[in-house]
Amino acid sequence: MYQTTPQKIRLYAGVAIVCAILVFPIYWLFVTALSTTAELKALPPSFWPEVAQWGTFAKVWGERPILHWLMNSTLAAAGSVTLSMIVSVLAGYSLSRFRVRGGNELGLFILTAKMLPATLLVIPLFSIFRNVGLIGSIWSLVIAHSTLIIPFTTWMLKGYFDTIPRELEQAAMVDGCSPMGAMVRVILPVATPGLAATALYAFVLSWADYAYARTFLINAQDNWTANLGITTMKGEYVTDWNEISAAAVFVAIPILLIYMFLERYLVGGLTAGAEK
Amino acid sequence: MPSQTTHSSAAPGSVSRRTSARFGLNLARPSRQHWLGYILLAPAVVMVALIIVYPLFVSLDLSFQKVGLARLDLPRKPFTTVNYERLFTSPEFWLACWVTFRLVFTVTVCCFVVGLGTALLVNQNFRGRKAARLLVALPWAIPEVIAVVIFAWIFDSTFGLMNWLFITIGLTDSMINWYSQPEPAFWMVAITMIWKGYPFVSIMTLAGLQSIPSDFYAAAKVDGANAWQRFRWITIPVLMPVLGVTMVLVMLWVFRDFSIIKVMTDGGPVGATTTLSIMTYEQAFGFFNMGYASAVGVITLVFCVVASALMIGRQTKSMY
Repeated sequence: MYQTTPQKIRLYAGVAIVCAILVFPIYWLFVTALSTTAELKALPPSFWPEVAQWGTFAKVWGERPILHWLMNSTLAAAGSVTLSMIVSVLAGYSLSRFRVRGGNELGLFILTAKMLPATLLVIPLFSIFRNVGLIGSIWSLVIAHSTLIIPFTTWMLKGYFDTIPRELEQAAMVDGCSPMGAMVRVILPVATPGLAATALYAFVLSWADYAYARTFLINAQDNWTANLGITTMKGEYVTDWNEISAAAVFVAIPILLIYMFLERYLVGGLTAGAEK
Repeated sequence: MPSQTTHSSAAPGSVSRRTSARFGLNLARPSRQHWLGYILLAPAVVMVALIIVYPLFVSLDLSFQKVGLARLDLPRKPFTTVNYERLFTSPEFWLACWVTFRLVFTVTVCCFVVGLGTALLVNQNFRGRKAARLLVALPWAIPEVIAVVIFAWIFDSTFGLMNWLFITIGLTDSMINWYSQPEPAFWMVAITMIWKGYPFVSIMTLAGLQSIPSDFYAAAKVDGANAWQRFRWITIPVLMPVLGVTMVLVMLWVFRDFSIIKVMTDGGPVGATTTLSIMTYEQAFGFFNMGYASAVGVITLVFCVVASALMIGRQTKSMY
């Protein structure tokens, strides 16, 4: 499209200003983490730390079990993603390829399950986990996060399998594959990018949880996830904003990196079907 | 595979089946009923029944009992509707309904204004637009709890940036205590949610915009349509279905959100940010009125189901 120079300048200025305003809070998080306590209390505020205090990161890393929290988050995410993916790959494939009695109804139900409020589900899950002694264990999160993830992944994968031509399986079967073999040997390898994108999205979903971790693990300090750990730093006595910001950076970095490098896949999962 | 061929012959007849039978092969016609379909679906059915359906029944059951801390190992308490009676006569509940409605409305409208605006902006043709797109949607990748840490500091009552900004540009002449006054607290939560929520609208809109073939615009231009007319008669109609689904999803997100409000204000001050979700949680794990809390939860569920039913009715395809 043809643009005159003033138009171009206006466009660039507009984009720059909008981006600056919207991304400013993230910038501010980093600046806060790198400032001294005195700088944070200065008015007018300093928008650039005099000397970047990288030591805050080291201090927080040493004083708080951040690595441990991150490991717990990763563990819970890995567990729930694995469990959900196994279940939803099979279900998604079935919903995509076979006509099963009650399949449509099940699909619709799973779809509706996406809309369930966590605050409703957390009450019965708490009672059930208490009954079987899972409160305080990471396994409680693995199961609870699956209630969030399975509805998403099943439909994402069904949508993904729908895009793979059926002729592929038919060809495999002509060549002597059983239907199961056609799925495992032909379709799953072809679907690998879609599976990876879905798993990634599920991972982010699990990583972002706070409600379940806070309910099931609040008294099990060893199993705190990153999100839960961060909130315990807020307002113990007086919040040290540079320290909590530094800790927040550690927690935000993994997902930010995933987003920066794999944005295409994440967004693909988010908008799947929306364009149709 | 003779066994499958016999099996499939039980399915409603079709020409293609006869052809495949002639070749002695099951060509896995997707519309065919098949035992494998059931087997593949079985784990999902079992899982969903165990971790979603059963808990839902438990909470429905709890909402009809006068129960404090729910214990599944004890016999169930007698059936009563006392929780629902208490609910509908409690001013707390109606306040929570009002706060929820107001928050959903405010956040959804603002998310759409910002999200649509940014999407249309970065959909223009310019160098570096890939980077701009990434930046515009960046808050989406920040976990909610971290977003709260950021904004809780920006809205800090003594050293926060927002108070400094307000005083500098002359909106107020004294420090606003964002945490202890109802109205400021509401807006603080709303702004945090808008910042966290608009990228979703932006991402969905961009995806929708990209599905519009550029020929449409070229053709309209040839016919003499100006920029506004092209926007009004091409962009808007094509985007409408996507925007409809997106709106329901954003509304449901705000409606159900727990972490942002819980960590930021814990529902306070004096209930100014207590939505139905927060009220459910407070009643269940703050006061241990799990029966009453379940009743509130069931009401929220009814809202959610109605909203999703509206969506499914309109556009099943765009749902997932």
